[in-house]
Amino acid sequence: MDLTWTTEELAFRDEVREFVKTQIPEDMRAKTFAHQRASREDYIRWHKILANRGWGAPNWPKEYGGTGWTSLQKLIFEVETFKGGAPRMLPFGLSMIGPVLMKFGNQAQKDYYLPRIINMDDWWCQGYSEPGSGSDLASLKTKAEIVGNEFVINGQKTWTTLAHHADWMFCLVRTDPSAKAQRGISMVLIDLRQPGVKVRPIKTLDAGAEVNEVWLENVKAPLENLVGELNGGWTYAKYLLGHERTGIAGLGYCYRELAILKALADRTTSRGESLGMDPRVRDNINRVEASVRALEMLLLRVAADSSSAEPGPKASILKIRGSEIQQDLARLQMQIAGADTWPYDPDWMFAESTFHGPSPDFSPAAAAAYFDTRKTTIYGGSTEVQKGIIAKHIIGV
Amino acid sequence: MDFAYSEEQRMLTDSLRRVMSENWTFKHRRARQATGQMDERAWQSLAELGVAGLMVPEAYGGFGESPATMLTVHQELGRGLVSEPVIPSAVMAVTLLSHSKNEALKAKWLSAHAEGEAVLSIAWQEEGERYSIRPLCTHAGSATGGFELSGRKTLVWHGAAANALIVSALLDGEIALFLIERSATGLSLTDYPTFDGMRTATVGLDKVTVGADALIAKGAEAEALMNLALDFGITALCAHASGAMEYLTEVTIQYLKTRQQFGQYLANFQVLQHRMGDMLIQQEMALSMTYVAAQALGQSNAAERSRLVSMTKVEVAAAARLVGEAAVQLHGGMGMTDELEVGDYFKRLTYTDLLLGDTLHHLQRMQDMES
Repeated sequence: MDLTWTTEELAFRDEVREFVKTQIPEDMRAKTFAHQRASREDYIRWHKILANRGWGAPNWPKEYGGTGWTSLQKLIFEVETFKGGAPRMLPFGLSMIGPVLMKFGNQAQKDYYLPRIINMDDWWCQGYSEPGSGSDLASLKTKAEIVGNEFVINGQKTWTTLAHHADWMFCLVRTDPSAKAQRGISMVLIDLRQPGVKVRPIKTLDAGAEVNEVWLENVKAPLENLVGELNGGWTYAKYLLGHERTGIAGLGYCYRELAILKALADRTTSRGESLGMDPRVRDNINRVEASVRALEMLLLRVAADSSSAEPGPKASILKIRGSEIQQDLARLQMQIAGADTWPYDPDWMFAESTFHGPSPDFSPAAAAAYFDTRKTTIYGGSTEVQKGIIAKHIIGV
Repeated sequence: MDFAYSEEQRMLTDSLRRVMSENWTFKHRRARQATGQMDERAWQSLAELGVAGLMVPEAYGGFGESPATMLTVHQELGRGLVSEPVIPSAVMAVTLLSHSKNEALKAKWLSAHAEGEAVLSIAWQEEGERYSIRPLCTHAGSATGGFELSGRKTLVWHGAAANALIVSALLDGEIALFLIERSATGLSLTDYPTFDGMRTATVGLDKVTVGADALIAKGAEAEALMNLALDFGITALCAHASGAMEYLTEVTIQYLKTRQQFGQYLANFQVLQHRMGDMLIQQEMALSMTYVAAQALGQSNAAERSRLVSMTKVEVAAAARLVGEAAVQLHGGMGMTDELEVGDYFKRLTYTDLLLGDTLHHLQRMQDMES
């Protein structure tokens, strides 16, 4: 074991830092640090900036147009871009359907879809959860019937993140109703720009609407849009969730929010001095920083462990702690802002509307982030489900 | 001590619970919030039940009730997630005025309040110093026949609904409390919605003149009145949170008993059973601690009273967070939406910590009151 950073790794970090410093548009950076919501255009603009630099797919191997970076490089990239105020890279193409297509897709699918993901020509979304099938995903009911040379799909998906922006959905559908739960599921790629697709935003606790309900009524997809084998979808779905879980640790997000937390504590005063100097506050900040550091090393260990195979059950540990630390950071920011977070108008979360609140401009965003991060222990397999996975696959009980 | 409700307390809380379940449902609350202002009829119906006059002394037409009765009432109002200005007006402002010596103001405003004809609020906070009772930038000076005030107050709870405000200001370097009518020249008000469905306001004072009789108290007396009003307000807020926790726990248990995953009711999973158990534990601790605060309100030693109330705030805020967060988690994705009342309760419980001094502030206050 050698725990020192190599000269190459440090040089890479400097390279990313320089890129981040010069290439993130100022308006985007300002939005990020104000906790305002990135628009569809913001996301696409950032992805294209990265694609231009050859960094459009940081987590992909070179043969598919990715960077071929080591897990350490990927991590450095994530942390530095987040800290620099970049919007997050959308996971739907890069971390979800992309890796699935590389492993299970046919040549034509790889050739067509993968370059378009890198260049953000298609906006993907995930058609997994349904109203009756959350944690128990295998009970999903959306069905696809083969009529002639196409699938005809009917059903309802929910919690579909950013579906209102999406062009395509990778969708789990039931193709064999007579088979046992996991057996009769297939994964189909659906073009959402067609009649029969209805998207309704779900308003969430922060009064924003990033998630949606999606209705599919007699929606068509050619048979060639099947991923892998018919009724083999469960295997791909599980593979994808494993990928999602390593990204879900949100290390870059944690580092950025830690920096914001410290800055807020320093510029808020209490009893004549900065809150950052208050031992009660400082202890909490130091504690959460320790957790972020441990999370980073855990992530590196898990990433190294899974470089040869698919992400193992240890990803569950990462997901659980990562999501909790994200919540802690948001809660501490809200604690700093205190009662100033009370007045709230959801319009303040968008740069297009001017902030005209009564308190410092970070206040409403701090509370919105606290409410919003409650989702992290629910989505991508809830904490309870992840602990079940740990018990079953690591402990073996 | 006797924990059994008196006949009167039982009748009052029974009728409140009935009214809450009839007129303070999710649908009713949302409809009222959407109007962006206090619903006069809702306030009247609370007044008719005795809520507005509860803490007003009998001499001014109220019921002069005990802190214990106040607790039972606010527990019910918390179950119904009442957003009307009961705590700032019927508890805090009424308590402050009742204990003051300004007979003219008491005769006018306490009587009107008991009748449900007045809403009051205390404008005590300012920018720059979290939760400080001592004003920083709002000043009062002598003027012909009275005083002139200038400055800016923030986070005035239901300021826009109030007919008059109790405003703290520096007078000769000391804290002083004035009663200023909303219609006063030079008083401007910006009203904001809050995260938990209430209203708050920033109040600007630009050379507002008031008569000499508008002075409620100054110096040590004003500070004592502010602390007393806060202690009553915090106790009511903790009772409100206890009721909200109780209701939210019931709703969550009900949800887990009906929602199925993996072929069985969620309530059958041991890990979820334990989390429901945690919610119940916290809710019981919070209510018990609120009893401690209500008991302390009868204390003659003000420092000890405030210390116990601050202690209560810390304990109840922690419980409120745990219960609110657990309710969201146990509801899964549905708990994250704005479409169930779970979120409304969670947000109100979150603000239990931040309103009237947060945990950091009250830990410090406990320490200050010890010395």
